[in-house]
Amino acid sequence: MAPRGSYLDLFVSLVLPNTLKTMAHKHTNDDHSENHEHHIVSYREHFSTLIALLFLTVVTVAISVFGASLASLSVFTAMLIATVKVVVVAYYFMHLKYDKKIYGWLVIIVSILFVAVSVLTAIEYLNR
Amino acid sequence: MGMWLFLFTELLLFGGLFIVYLIYRVLNADAFLSASYELDVTMGTINTVVLLVSSMTIAMSITAIQKGDSKKSIQLLGTTLLLSLMFMVIKYFEWSAKISHGLFPGLDLYKSLPPGEALYFFLYFIMTGLHALHIIIGAVIIAVTMYRTRKGLVTADKYTLTENAGLYWHLVDLIWIYLFPLFYLIH
Repeated sequence: MAPRGSYLDLFVSLVLPNTLKTMAHKHTNDDHSENHEHHIVSYREHFSTLIALLFLTVVTVAISVFGASLASLSVFTAMLIATVKVVVVAYYFMHLKYDKKIYGWLVIIVSILFVAVSVLTAIEYLNR
Repeated sequence: MGMWLFLFTELLLFGGLFIVYLIYRVLNADAFLSASYELDVTMGTINTVVLLVSSMTIAMSITAIQKGDSKKSIQLLGTTLLLSLMFMVIKYFEWSAKISHGLFPGLDLYKSLPPGEALYFFLYFIMTGLHALHIIIGAVIIAVTMYRTRKGLVTADKYTLTENAGLYWHLVDLIWIYLFPLFYLIH
């Protein structure tokens, strides 16, 4: 986990449910082992991910530069494409695909919270 | 897990700025549109590609260390470091062009701008500046990871540092993925 930060593991273990607690303690006792499976993602898979991300970048720039008539659509589309790119980076490059499910759920929950706060702020502000 | 929790706090730091941006953009839609034409889409696109490629190279360096190939891992980290430098050089040219035009907060042209456009440039400098700071921190972490891998402190059994450097670097990439369309692609 965090470099030389076994205290972080302990702190986390206080917050998380029992199953994880035992795991985190096991980890602090045995500092040399990683506490997750070693799934090795191939170079090829990383390269394919990059190609997908570059393709999405080309699309979003093309829409913006050449698609002026779609002005009203473009903000929404640009954010949608950016979000797809972010999901691709998190899922493949950041190994969420192979990590324990809890990481994915945390990301989803935090993202939902953030979107909720943004939307509520926008609604509140624009309805004055 | 510790690293992920830290990334969430980073998300909220930038998240707050994104909400500020959202509100001001809705209130000053036309001003933001005309101000955004001052930015160079080509440079922004090149920097986007640079960061995406660097995200791949650092992800590959984890693959390399997992396979026990520390030499290749160091090479890939080195490539990532070079790409981060490239990003900063391009960013430097962009910023210095804006500053020489007087668009930096406090300079003459900035003061004469309509309030909406001034806000755009204020947010541009704050958000890309904070992002650039993250690039610098990420580059330092990558350099430390290279050094420790070379020293044999990072191995196929113990590569948490490489993983965390990767996670941090991907976060820097993720933030740019949103900054790029929000500032450069308003057209």
